[in-house]
Amino acid sequence: MLLLKRIFFLILVQQIALMYCDIKAQTKGKEIAYLQTDRTAYVAGESVCYKLYILDEATKKRSEMSKVGYIVLRSANSDPSLKIRVQIDAGMGNGSFVLPDTLMSGAYEIVAFTSAMKNFGDEHFFHKQITIANRFDNALDFRMVESFPKDSNLFQQPNLDFKIKTDKAVYGIREKVFVNLGAFNSKANVSVSVFEEPKIPSADKSIVETLKNGVDAQNIQRKLIYHSPENKGKILRAYVIDAKTQKTIKDAIVLLSCIDTIPNLQYAITNSNGLFQMLLSDYYNGKELFLTIKDAPEDQKWQIRLEDEFAQSGKWHPRLISNNGNYKEFIVKSQNIVYINKSYQLNKYTNEKLAIDNKSICPKFYHCKAATILPSDFVPLNDLPEIAVEILPQVRILKEKGKYDVQIFNPLMKRFSAIPPAVFLDGVYVDDNDKIIGLGSDQIKKIDIIDNERAFGDLVFSGAISIISKSNEMASTKPAFCSFRLKNDSINVGSGLVTIDPEYIQNKNVPVFKQLLYWNANLELNGTDDTHFEFYTSDNAANFTIKVEGISENGTAISASSNFQVNNSINVIGK
Amino acid sequence: MKHYIYISLLFICISTNAQVNVRTKIKDVDSTFLPKLTGDFFYEGKMYIGEQYYNKDWMTGDILLSTGATVYDKSLKYNGLFDELIWLNETNFGKFKIDKPFVSEFWLKNNPYSTIHFKQINLSEPGNIKRQDIFAELRVEGNLSLFIQREISITGTQFNYVDNALCQYDVITATPIYYIKLPSNQYLMLTKLRRRAFLKLFPEKKKRIAKIIRTNDLDVSVESDFVKLIELMNNDKTL
Repeated sequence: MLLLKRIFFLILVQQIALMYCDIKAQTKGKEIAYLQTDRTAYVAGESVCYKLYILDEATKKRSEMSKVGYIVLRSANSDPSLKIRVQIDAGMGNGSFVLPDTLMSGAYEIVAFTSAMKNFGDEHFFHKQITIANRFDNALDFRMVESFPKDSNLFQQPNLDFKIKTDKAVYGIREKVFVNLGAFNSKANVSVSVFEEPKIPSADKSIVETLKNGVDAQNIQRKLIYHSPENKGKILRAYVIDAKTQKTIKDAIVLLSCIDTIPNLQYAITNSNGLFQMLLSDYYNGKELFLTIKDAPEDQKWQIRLEDEFAQSGKWHPRLISNNGNYKEFIVKSQNIVYINKSYQLNKYTNEKLAIDNKSICPKFYHCKAATILPSDFVPLNDLPEIAVEILPQVRILKEKGKYDVQIFNPLMKRFSAIPPAVFLDGVYVDDNDKIIGLGSDQIKKIDIIDNERAFGDLVFSGAISIISKSNEMASTKPAFCSFRLKNDSINVGSGLVTIDPEYIQNKNVPVFKQLLYWNANLELNGTDDTHFEFYTSDNAANFTIKVEGISENGTAISASSNFQVNNSINVIGK
Repeated sequence: MKHYIYISLLFICISTNAQVNVRTKIKDVDSTFLPKLTGDFFYEGKMYIGEQYYNKDWMTGDILLSTGATVYDKSLKYNGLFDELIWLNETNFGKFKIDKPFVSEFWLKNNPYSTIHFKQINLSEPGNIKRQDIFAELRVEGNLSLFIQREISITGTQFNYVDNALCQYDVITATPIYYIKLPSNQYLMLTKLRRRAFLKLFPEKKKRIAKIIRTNDLDVSVESDFVKLIELMNNDKTL
């Protein structure tokens, strides 16, 4: 009986330990996103400056895991209006994006997240509501998000030991403002925004509130398909499926290349779910990607289906109300300021452009020397089969069952190899030889040939033929059924520092109306001394808010705000 | 009563653990993202008398590529005759010469505690001894660095009967070449380890070096002693 008791006790301890481990595993690697924008109300055509914080949920410190962040701007019917990819460095990323002029007036939601956050569901993403008015919308009868009075002592007195002080409470127009941020107890990085009080209610959460509230663990629905954290760069995820049967294909080899003067290649193999992943380095930023399935059976309809990295399963259901009449005056003023700035072309701030390290390394197909043939050195030839016969003795082009087959002579085996070579046109792996057959001496700049059997990872080719065309022929070709072409987005960069240029301030003949006086995405607090910064007021007389959000090295959230007033005799209400 | 509590607790724990969702992870995600080795098929058509590889058996090794990325745990052999790094692709069992400009350094793992470190060195600077890129074993790194090129060269020919036919074979032997890299990035070359030849390379520090050799009872013609001498020279502040 005693033995039985002991066994029961041991199993019990083991089960409790397992439960504890699982709880630990659930919280480990979990990230929280917080996005600070320079303002909460915009006119379409204006820039939105932002700072994205990615924090570790357990420690509340800046996360070192994800290197890529995603921002989606979506309208009240959940349609995405803008998709932005952000480079995250040590848990922070910043930039700016321009709101398209064509955006309809209304309430919009900004959603920010990382790939790792997808494993815990959309409810774990950061959500923020903003108001956007179209510049030409005179009626302004759009509906706004119903906001509730904020239960926020947190925002009023978020960090008692962190103070924002201005040298005065009331300023004149075009006057210098000195701001002093009191010493914080540890080193921190904050973002600072000085903007006109919007008078439009918003449910804008501070970083302190976001971290305090967190996400209700009960609501988290784990996804069955795991998303790898993007700790090296963007990961392209896609499926290979049979278009006839809609079944996923496992062990299919997918090749990726893009237009370049160097033949380049990357490949991935689909798993049992038909999913493949590719790490897209900076090299692929802004480039057109050519994906193709290697050796796809001709009698089957295999195709590549891309997973949208910005996709969200949840819809946004804001409670919209039509009482924006009270805020019309502010919106009209904003529209007028944008109108004045556009007329005088005064959108230039002193901008410090973010320097993005471009570590673009081309994934070359080969790193050895190749034999180069310049068709221009020979008499003009009409097409590639003719070029092969006349000037490429190591290449043979055969036509079988209406399809062209390119072969390379193997000098070791002393015969044409049965393994096909890798054929590239303008750096891109050719998915169908018919695309290169018609190219004659007039179209081809140069041909590089390697006639040795080659390995590229686990793939083996009988050699390589790289054709560089004179007028980028690859761009105008049509992808085969088993291929997919897409434009890779670029990393969003933008203004880390926005302030009014002192040159404008001194020029009294030019109107300077600004609702954003200062934006600094990266202000370092050294943990011992006060921090100072300064900026100028514009001709816009209004109440302004200085808002500081950030995170310290030890994971303490910083939120503080302060107000000041700018007096002016010029009235811009009414054009 | 106690037993009932134990049993009920046990069932609660088991059922709670059973409810945890299972994630489907992608196998070997990291290896998917690693750079791919590129190279020509290595055809061993010719027979030699002697060993053309520095390591006769395949050794697991890591390679630092010229792109800055590292690939781990590949089956490698260093061919001293052709100065090429040969890779055994375990998927198709093909032997490939890894593209030389693609390799910066590689480490052959003897056992978990000992590795042989090779580095590609560029001897093509004007004024240097030889004008080429070679793989050389890095033995000492410091103010003075010692690289040993594990060259295997044809030293003669031999006729052997194979299937009653007289065949000519090249005889190959290890002929290491020693390179001492100076702080000025110049290389000094020694084809044979001789005390006098070595001292001639450092005419101004000849006496001090000779004293180090004497004090430590080193035989410069022995490779291990020569390596020790370079280490001692690096530690000697008077040099």
